[in-house]
Amino acid sequence: MAEQKQQIEEFVPSEYSAGFVTDIEADSLPPGLSEDVVRQISAIKGEPEFLLEWRLKAYRHWLTLETPKWAHVHYPEIDYQDISYYSAPKKKTDGPKSLDEVDPELLRTYEKLGVPLEERARLAGVAVDAVFDSVSVANTFQDKLAEEGILFMPFSKAVKQHPELIKKYLGSVVPYRDNFYAALNSAVFSDGSFVFIPKGVRCPMELSTYFRINAANTGQFERTLIIAEDDAYVSYLEGCTAPMRDENQLHAAVVELVALDRAEIKYSTVQNWYPGDENGKGGIYNFVTKRAACRGVSSKVSWTQVETGSAITWKYPSVILQGDNSIGEFYSVAVTNNMQQADTGTKMIHLGKNTSSTVISKGISAGRSENAYRGLIRVGPNAENARNYTECDSLLMGDTCGAHTFPYIEVKNPTAQIEHEASTSKISEDQLFYCKQRGMDTEDAVSMIVNGFCKEVIRQLPMEFAVEAQNLLGLSLEGSVG
Amino acid sequence: MKQLTELTTSFTSVADSIDLPGQDLSWIQEIRQQALAQFNQSGFPSKKVEDWKYTSLWELTQLQFSHLVEPVEVSEQHCEQLALLEDAYRVVIVDGVFSADLSKLTSLQEGLTVGPFSQSLERIQQQLGKQVSIEKEGLTALNTLLMKEGVMVHIAEDKIIDKPIELLVINTGGTDNLATHLRNMIVLDDNAEATVIEHYVGLTDTSCLTNVVSEVILAEKAELFHYKLQQESDNAFHIATLAAKQATGSQWHTNNINLGAKLARNDIHSQLFGEQSHTTMDGLYILDNEQHIDNHTRIDHFVPNTTSNELYKGVLNGSSHAVFNGKVMVHKDAQKTDSNQYNHNLLLSRNCEIDTKPEMEIYADDVKCGHGSTVGQIDMDQLFFLRARGLDEVTARSLLTHAFAVEVLERIPSEHIRKALSNVIEQRLPRGKK
Repeated sequence: MAEQKQQIEEFVPSEYSAGFVTDIEADSLPPGLSEDVVRQISAIKGEPEFLLEWRLKAYRHWLTLETPKWAHVHYPEIDYQDISYYSAPKKKTDGPKSLDEVDPELLRTYEKLGVPLEERARLAGVAVDAVFDSVSVANTFQDKLAEEGILFMPFSKAVKQHPELIKKYLGSVVPYRDNFYAALNSAVFSDGSFVFIPKGVRCPMELSTYFRINAANTGQFERTLIIAEDDAYVSYLEGCTAPMRDENQLHAAVVELVALDRAEIKYSTVQNWYPGDENGKGGIYNFVTKRAACRGVSSKVSWTQVETGSAITWKYPSVILQGDNSIGEFYSVAVTNNMQQADTGTKMIHLGKNTSSTVISKGISAGRSENAYRGLIRVGPNAENARNYTECDSLLMGDTCGAHTFPYIEVKNPTAQIEHEASTSKISEDQLFYCKQRGMDTEDAVSMIVNGFCKEVIRQLPMEFAVEAQNLLGLSLEGSVG
Repeated sequence: MKQLTELTTSFTSVADSIDLPGQDLSWIQEIRQQALAQFNQSGFPSKKVEDWKYTSLWELTQLQFSHLVEPVEVSEQHCEQLALLEDAYRVVIVDGVFSADLSKLTSLQEGLTVGPFSQSLERIQQQLGKQVSIEKEGLTALNTLLMKEGVMVHIAEDKIIDKPIELLVINTGGTDNLATHLRNMIVLDDNAEATVIEHYVGLTDTSCLTNVVSEVILAEKAELFHYKLQQESDNAFHIATLAAKQATGSQWHTNNINLGAKLARNDIHSQLFGEQSHTTMDGLYILDNEQHIDNHTRIDHFVPNTTSNELYKGVLNGSSHAVFNGKVMVHKDAQKTDSNQYNHNLLLSRNCEIDTKPEMEIYADDVKCGHGSTVGQIDMDQLFFLRARGLDEVTARSLLTHAFAVEVLERIPSEHIRKALSNVIEQRLPRGKK
């Protein structure tokens, strides 16, 4: 117990621990968005013609769209002309060839965040493709992955080296017409990660990316594309932090996953972006489109997310279950405190035969925050024997926060078996009493009960992430119980 | 929005030409004027409105409805057959017109006042329209503009009314595309208790529109058992809004059984304003062929220590389409709310569709709220169990379907009413076919 307490205290400076600004010269475009900006971004990155065309189509489509208003979140309107759409750490040479050449300032940043780069990476068995603002800085374990034929590289590099794959898969799961933020992202995305696992390969290590929004006023628009060919397996981790800034920063990412026959993709996120201060000043707007397509038979995609940061979260990792016998999973913990707002959930679209999906969502709200689960389970007319189980539980701490559930269930096939269950409760006096009677203080007791409440989800995370996630939970709820 | 105006004028233009009650009362004229302005502004809801996402009124808006009735005689004997209960006070409305002859309103128990809406306007002046919102619902505005008949029930303080009150609304089908706009007011004073049954019957398969708004006011510790049985014709549009305001310690038990109509929509709204108040919302829908039903329920827990139970079940056959949207709102400070809500659906055929959405919005922490919804089919194990005991497949399926459906009647305390409803349901259930 003492050890755990110490661990928590380590993580409990009452201020946001990742809130430091790295002082690096950045190449930025001036704020504003126009066709010229889109062309400029594309030119800076030296992209082939087809991609520029695609970006422009997305931009023109975006112009016709209106900001979606249906989510249970409130914020002042965003001025999209007031954002800088490109920021890259200034290059000293043509690009780092090894870790030694990477800006030491950057490395220190990662060190503070505890990213296992360098030797620690090898020990932890994690290959990191760290996205520092928009340009990937260092890739580790490239060689080892290359041996297996796995491609794990920055998106911009993939565009140059494997344009045929990008052409084939980009926008095939999340088309640029999908929604407002996806269109915006498609027009101006700066960089991201690209993963390709060839047929029959089981990725030998967890792939990991750390996103970090650094320069002030830059929206981060990364784009991730993961393709697992027949019988391939990959587990991908994504961690996010942002320094503390007063203005709200926009983050509109797109993640596309494609799983072919019998392939499996496991995508885990720990999102710890700056949530703003107690009065709701500052913080990240996290408007993300994440979607997976289970194209092949017996393919499987599993989303796991622990969301503790961001001022506003608007995110619905989804799975389109096209292949027969395919499986979709969604495990989520969303914690909101102070003035945070989260509207998150999933969509499971059953199209193939014998498809099944599981949704476990845990929402914890404290302070004056709002936490909503919004989910859709859709069973198409040809999806014989579809099976879904959904459970969403909310835990409320304090009488000024809100917890909401909006589950949509649409069934067009009589062989479907759909179950949805939701409950809302608070930490009971009995549970607290039990813990305190055994000598724990309230804070520890709450942390333990919350961790117990989320165990089903945390358990899905890879080991290192699970530890971080547990600590984050305790940290986010600091001071929320009197 | 030009199109919308065209759609609404077919209704608004009749407001001047038909004989609406209360022409000489300025307050009701004022209400109707407001409703007219509101309806012109909002019109019929489109599928873009979240609450109408799965239900389209397009077909309804394409029809030219008539507001002039050609009277059709319904015999006393026929009426007796149609009624759900034999031994009850009865208010009968035929094609939107109150029938004093068919109604059974003699020797009313002391403390009970029942009468047709058109003759009770002055009594309900203070309460009319206070339980519903014309701003939010275009159809409620339309009803307010054209409301013509309905029933007014008032129970005085401390009175317990033994006999149920049945409101029997008969659509004879004598007039093509007849539109009736009904308004019911049910008011229970402190400690009063009553049972009211709203019963809608269609006699032929002529197309018609029933647009009904029922308002309920429950004073302290009042208790109302409020049932609805909808057996409209296969080509009927049935739009119903049911809203109650509840004071301290009051109890409102609703049961909403829908068997008929081509398109039925129920908006049921309970507003718990007093502590220790309680709402039960149970319901059943049994659909076949092209039928479409949309049940939207909403329970607002405004104050601490209130409870609600909700159970809606559906049996879908043919290419029918059912929509369920249940919303439980626990407002700030409504601590110790205890609420549960369930929606279960049984799909029997290839082409049916169900869209269900149980929602919760919670702004208080010390609450116990749960909800669940399921979609499934007849359990093979249960079927096997019955078959192993010698029942043929059709009988076994019928038995299981019936058992599934009648669960919603379990909370009805009166055995008499429960049996009557159970019989009606049994006749309507699809015979299990292989």
